Order: sequence, then C-alpha cells, then structure tokens
Amino acid sequence: MSLEPLDSPDADVIPERTPEELEALLGDLVLARDDHLNAPGFVIRPDTVQETLSILKEQAGYDHLSLVTAQEYENRYESIYHLKKFDDPTQEVSVVVPADKDQPVSESGEAVFRTADWHEREAYDLVGIEYDDHPDLRRILLPQTWQGHPLSLDYDMNQPQIAALPAHVNPIQDHHRDDESDTMFLNIGPHHPATHGVLHLKTVLDGEQVVDIESDIGYLHRCEEQMAQSGTYRHQIMPYPDRWDYISAGLLNEWAYARAAEDLADIEVPEYAQVIRTMGAEMCRIAAHMLALATFALDVNGDFTATFMYAINDRERVQNLLEDLTGQRLMFNYFRLGGVVWDLPEPREEFFSKTRDFLDQLPGNIEEYHNLVTSNEIFQMRTIDTGILPPEVAKNYGATGPVLRGSGVDYDLRRDDPYGYYDELDWDVITEDGCDNYSRLLVRMQEVEESAKIIGQCVDLLEDWPEDERTIQANVPRTLRPDDDNEIYRAVEAAKGELGIYIRSDGTDKPARFKIRSPCFSNLQTLPEMANGEYIPDVIAALGSLDIVLGEVDR
Amino acid sequence: MADAPAQLFPEFIVDTFGLPGVLGEVVAALIAAFVVGNIVLAFTGVAGPWAKRKITAAFTDRIAVSRIGPFGLLIIPAAAVQLLAKELIVPEGVDRPTWDLAPIILPASALLGFAVIPMGQLGPVNLHLADPEVGLALVFAFASIASVSLVMAGYGSNNKYSMLGGLRAVAQNLAYEIPLIVTAMSVVIFAGTLEMSGIVAAQSETLFSVGGFDIPAWYALVNPFAFVLFLTANMAEIGRNPFDIPEAPTEIVAGYQTEYSSSYFVLFYLGEFVHIFLGGAILAVTFLGGAAGPGPESISFLWFVVKIWGFFLFTQWCRSALPRVRIDQLIEIGWKGMLVLSFANLVLTAVIVGGIA
Repeated sequence: MSLEPLDSPDADVIPERTPEELEALLGDLVLARDDHLNAPGFVIRPDTVQETLSILKEQAGYDHLSLVTAQEYENRYESIYHLKKFDDPTQEVSVVVPADKDQPVSESGEAVFRTADWHEREAYDLVGIEYDDHPDLRRILLPQTWQGHPLSLDYDMNQPQIAALPAHVNPIQDHHRDDESDTMFLNIGPHHPATHGVLHLKTVLDGEQVVDIESDIGYLHRCEEQMAQSGTYRHQIMPYPDRWDYISAGLLNEWAYARAAEDLADIEVPEYAQVIRTMGAEMCRIAAHMLALATFALDVNGDFTATFMYAINDRERVQNLLEDLTGQRLMFNYFRLGGVVWDLPEPREEFFSKTRDFLDQLPGNIEEYHNLVTSNEIFQMRTIDTGILPPEVAKNYGATGPVLRGSGVDYDLRRDDPYGYYDELDWDVITEDGCDNYSRLLVRMQEVEESAKIIGQCVDLLEDWPEDERTIQANVPRTLRPDDDNEIYRAVEAAKGELGIYIRSDGTDKPARFKIRSPCFSNLQTLPEMANGEYIPDVIAALGSLDIVLGEVDR
Repeated sequence: MADAPAQLFPEFIVDTFGLPGVLGEVVAALIAAFVVGNIVLAFTGVAGPWAKRKITAAFTDRIAVSRIGPFGLLIIPAAAVQLLAKELIVPEGVDRPTWDLAPIILPASALLGFAVIPMGQLGPVNLHLADPEVGLALVFAFASIASVSLVMAGYGSNNKYSMLGGLRAVAQNLAYEIPLIVTAMSVVIFAGTLEMSGIVAAQSETLFSVGGFDIPAWYALVNPFAFVLFLTANMAEIGRNPFDIPEAPTEIVAGYQTEYSSSYFVLFYLGEFVHIFLGGAILAVTFLGGAAGPGPESISFLWFVVKIWGFFLFTQWCRSALPRVRIDQLIEIGWKGMLVLSFANLVLTAVIVGGIA
C-alpha cells in the first residue's frame, strides 16, 4: 500500500483562477459570459464542447463534471456542463452551450468526461437535444418507442403513447445463439432478488464470467423534475426530495433542495435550525448506511442472514429517533426553506437521552458487524480485490460519496464545500484506498461512526442552547419569487454522494427548470468498469457495494 | 454392542407377525421401509415449515411463526395445505419428462440412502432396514444420484438461471464428492469394513476412561482432522451455506429450482431437507458412533435423532452466519485443498493403522 496520499488538498492549495483568467485561457472559444449564482458561466459554440471541456479539465484542473443540465428556451436549446474540482468543489465553472431551436445539435462531451454519456442521453431523452459524436445516443429513462421529449416546450402531454408491439425490442428473445461466439445473453432483472429495485442488467456471459454488462434504467421514472417545476418554491417542492433516495435518506435529500433554493432566494438559516438539520441529516445517513450494510450482506451471504436483521434492527432505532423528531418514518418533509418545520420533540430531555442511548450502543454494535462481516475470511475472500474501481476511472465517471471515497479520493462536500453546521464540528472524512467492494463497505461502516460523532456534538449543542434563541425558521415571504433568470447549482453530500440541484428562476413562484443531479445515477454508470471480466457473484456484490436506490437513479 | 448384532427391522416384522415365505419377507420389507420413510419425512415436515424458521429467527433476533397452534406448530399442516393448493406452473418449452422427473429423483435418492442407515433402537425395534456388506459405498452412491436430478432440473427448465445452477451443481459435486468419499475411506481403514453395522460396532470400543466414564472410540475423537474434512465436504455435498452455490439466491435467483412451483417445488424442498438429514446420518454413522449414547440400548434411536438434528442445526447456523464462496473459489478449495488433504489423511491413516497392526 502506498503511503503517498492520492489527493492531498492541504499539500498544495489549488490556485483558483478568476473568471477573467479562465476567459483568457479559453480565448476565442468564449462567445459571451452567462454567470450563474454559484459559478462563472461561459457561453460557447455547440461544436467546441470537447475542446472547451478538455482545456478546462487538463489546464485549469476542473476534473469533475458534476452535472449536465439541458433546457429549452423560447429561442434556443441549452446544455450546461457544471464543472468542479475534486480537490476543491467550491471552485466551479459552468459551460453553457446554446443549440439551434429548430435543429438542436450539440457536440458531446463524452470524449472528455465519460460521465457525460448518461447525462447527455438523459438530456436527449427528456429535452430533445442531439449530441454529435456521442457513442450511444438512445433514450435512457423513457422507452425507446416514446414520442416526443417531455421537458421540451412544445411537448403534448395528451398525445397518446401508443407503440405497436413489434416496435418494442423484446428483451426475452427466443434465441441468442450465433455461430461466431459461445457467449450467453442473460437478463438480470428487472425482477431479480439482487437488483435492489427495478433495474435491468443486460449481461453477456462467457461461462460464468461477464463479457459485457449494460444497465437499463428508467423503470421507476416518476417525472420528479417536471413535478418540481410545477410546484411552488415555498411549500410544494419540499415533499418530493423524500421520494428520490427513499431509503430513509429523506432529510439529506431535502437539504439539497433547501440549500439550492435558500441560496437562490438569499435566505439565511438560523444557526439553531442548522444544528437540528445537521443532526437529522446524520441520523438519515446512519439509517441509509445501515441498510446498505444489510443488503450488501444479503448480496454476499444470500438469504436472510443475521447481519441483515441486526443492521435492520439498528436502522429501526435511528428510524424511531427520526420519527420522534419529524413525526414521520419515511417521507419526513421536515425541512422548510429557512429552517425546519418544528422544534425538537417535548420533553427535550427524553429525546436527548434516547439519542444518547443509541449513540452509546452503536460502537458495540459496529464491533459486532466487524466480527460478523468484515473480519470473516470468506467475506474477505469474496469482496477484497473484486469490483475494482481505480480512482481516475471513478473521477471520470463522476462517482461520488462512499463509492469515490472507497477508491481513495478524499472528497466530501460536508467538509470541502461546507454547509449547515458541519465546519463547526469535529469529525473526519473517511477514505479507503482498496478501490474494491470491501473498501466501499468499510467506508460506509466508518462513516456511521463519524455520523454518530456529529450527532453527539449536535445533541450537546442543542441541550445547552439558550431557550430564547431557539429560532427554527427564518422570516421567509409567504410566496417566494426569486428574480428573473437567475441560475444556481448547489450540491450536498447525501447518503450516496453528491446530490445537486440546479434551479433556474423566471420571476414566478415556480422554478422554470429544476434539475436533479443524482449520485446513484453517476455511480451506477461505473458498473461495467467494475464488472467486466468478473464472475456473476462479483457483479452482484459490486452492484450491492454501489448502494444504488432506483428511486434516485430514475427520479 | 458386544452381543450379536440386533435383528434388522424387516426380519423383526417377519418374526413378530409370523409372515411366511418370500411374500412375507417382501411385505415385511415394504412395511419397514414405509415406517422408516415416514420417520424421515416427519423430520422434514417439522424442519421445513417450522424448525428452520424458528432456528433462523433465533439467530436473527426474531420470533417467527407463533400464531397458529402452540409455538406456531400448526403452521406445518397449514403450510402443507397451502403448498399443495398452489397452481403448478409449467413454463413453455420445458423438456417434459426431464422436467417432471427431476423433482421426484431428488427426494427419492435421499430417501433411498436411509435404507442402509442404522438408526438405532426404539424399544425392541432396531430401525435398520438393510445391512449389506458394501453399505457405506451404497449410501454414497444413492446420495450422488441427487446431482443427476439437479442437472435434469437445470437442463429441463429452459431457463438460463436454472442452467447455470445445474452446471454449478455438477462442478460442485465433482469437486467435493471425491474428498468426501476418500475421507470416508479412512474410516473404513479404521473399521476394516464397509458394513454400516460394522462401522458403528467398531466405534463402540472404549478409547480411554476418564474418572470412570468410558469415552467411546468415535472416529470424530480418534481422527478429528478427518471429521472436519468430512463435515466440510458434506456441507458442499448437500449444498448448504457457505456452499449453496447451485441455488445461490440473490445471484442466480434460485438456480435449478427457479422454474418450479407448487408440488414440484415442495418435492425439491423435501429432497433437500432429506438430503441434509441423510448427510447428518452419514456423519453420525461414520464419525459419531451411529446411534450410540448413554442410557439403555433401547432408546438409542433418540440419540440418533439428536445427532442428525444437531447437524441440521449446524447447517442453519452456517446459513445465518457465513457468506457464500464464489463458484471458482469453491472449485479451487475442492480440487486444490480438500482433495490433497483428504488423500494425505487417507495415507496417514493407512500408515498408522498398518503400523499398529
């Protein structure tokens, strides 16, 4: 194991270039400036996307393509490439690519950032921009037979979507034989015990080894972006985030929306509410990671194992705390723009002592998991050196969260792009540099301990908070109407990674464009890298170690 | 068992009821087989719908079936009715005779194995159907027919997951049956016979005495190394965790039994459970002194029950606690590890036994 850290943010501070320097670097490529609230934006010609992105990546160090947003205006289409640096995510830049209204064609950024593949497919699918030089421009969320692009302005919602049966590709064809090869095509999913939801993996096997694997997603697409666009900022959007990563990570998701909308509307959240948010969010993280551990044990052990039940048991205890706090077990709807909906439950002492009981018991339980799972030799045999995801590949795919940290990349928005109360508290970012299934699990298990540390500090803070300073919500206008044509992209560290929200306001009380950057979506894209050449059981383990939630992948 | 070996069960029936001639022997044999078969099936009936749930629940901090009857015991008839009442779905394109025969062959092969198992005495009855000279070889032969059934199910189901499961079953059985039998051969060297009653009798001698208690010369105590080898290979042979690769739920759905429903599914499940008990029975006979135990000879059947249920409990413990190995790792352990160790054990045993003799 090399002692040299893969990334050392402290070693040399990444020089931040001013927008003007960047503009000079890009030179003639920049047609105009279109700054967003979070980052400078450069408008470029649609046929210079690769050139611009590679200059920004190679020469300016913007190595993280966080999100590709596509949208249609009255007079043009537009793709936005939201770039960041893994070493310092507060350094952001947006590349704005307008495309012709009648023939929206734009060059693909896939050659520079592998992650652009799926993001551009989604943009094509939902908005209708075509990407030149894209390796595989097909619909990704909707069926291949779908007529029209639902998020484009002239989309007719009442148009019947009738497709004749022969137009559908039948995934269960009679024969997959061909004379040349002796491989076998296997459908894993959409109904399969290990896909953690409705995911369809089109797998080509050579014996038991995977030659090719392709994820077919979209079974759980619920038009979350479109629904958010037809809701008002103040109240109607907040319930939706709970339904993205619904594995009890609700508060973390709500925070993503809250952060973007609060920055857009310039709302200052009271400190007391920030502490409550931080505590609640970390409880959600524990619950989510416990479920990840439980289901990973299912994937590797098979059937109902002790690990699964123990982890579910622990998750249940956090869940009870969250229920006390928010009044809900799954769809919390607890955050409000400018704070949280209500204060801690009364009597406060009871809530604190319950929380402390949980925190006291947790280290012992984690020890038990280590005895049962991570120190088991068969388990190590199964997970160490399987599902390898090298750090450079992970970055190229825009992987974030425990998946990226399991590949040794020290990247956590809670520390690197601080929000809430995190920068006031004492905790560590966990990384493991094994790059395998085992590392990803270890990262999650240690993050549970870090979360517990954070919760403990929050409880101490809340307990001593003066009674007359317990402001849970800022003064927020009844109807929020952010200024016309403001654009913002903000992300938080959710359970699975970087959960970002892009909002464009148009002066009304509803967003003109609401785009979700789902960490699972980007993480799932790495599956072929980990799976090809491995055995089926390792693919299942790798999928489990990615810890995807289809509700968030498909939105 | 210093006295003359007890009368076999069919002979006992002939004598007791005075059945005459060859016909009488046939009738007696059928009655005896019926009784023994039902004892084994009763184990399975208790194990499948009830004990397995209760045991797993105990391992995982749950309660499991508790509503119907005392301790939820009436779930057994309820589950039987429910399972038999389900629709038998026959997928398109299955290879009919193969697909239908597979679920019959599996339980049949496992049940056949019990024909030569000495299950101990219950009162005057010695629950032992037959005691051929090649008893041990025969029981392994019967038990291995199970793989044929798995291949048939995998091939006949017209399903890729089933096919993968069937192929895995063959690979696994090849890799583990050889070490299993070679290890059993070391017992044969000790006992000097393949006869089941002979192997049991050889273990009834006293190994040494501690404070007046005679510790019997069970081969698990005489050669613990062989015992562990045999136990491991046995787990693979009966396809339980960590070697439940042919089924591998969460990987290949349910392996060879993916396409089976209703009564066919019951037959498969039944076959698997009988197979676990047969595995326990072979283990008990070869390494744990058969039905021997403290107390009078006439209750030795109870000790036998304790031993095979102990083995069942062990399989369930592994199921709750152990991860599954990967198919290539399993094959590697089998051919490169177990096979070598089992031959080493065989040679060592031969040398030691030969040296003493």
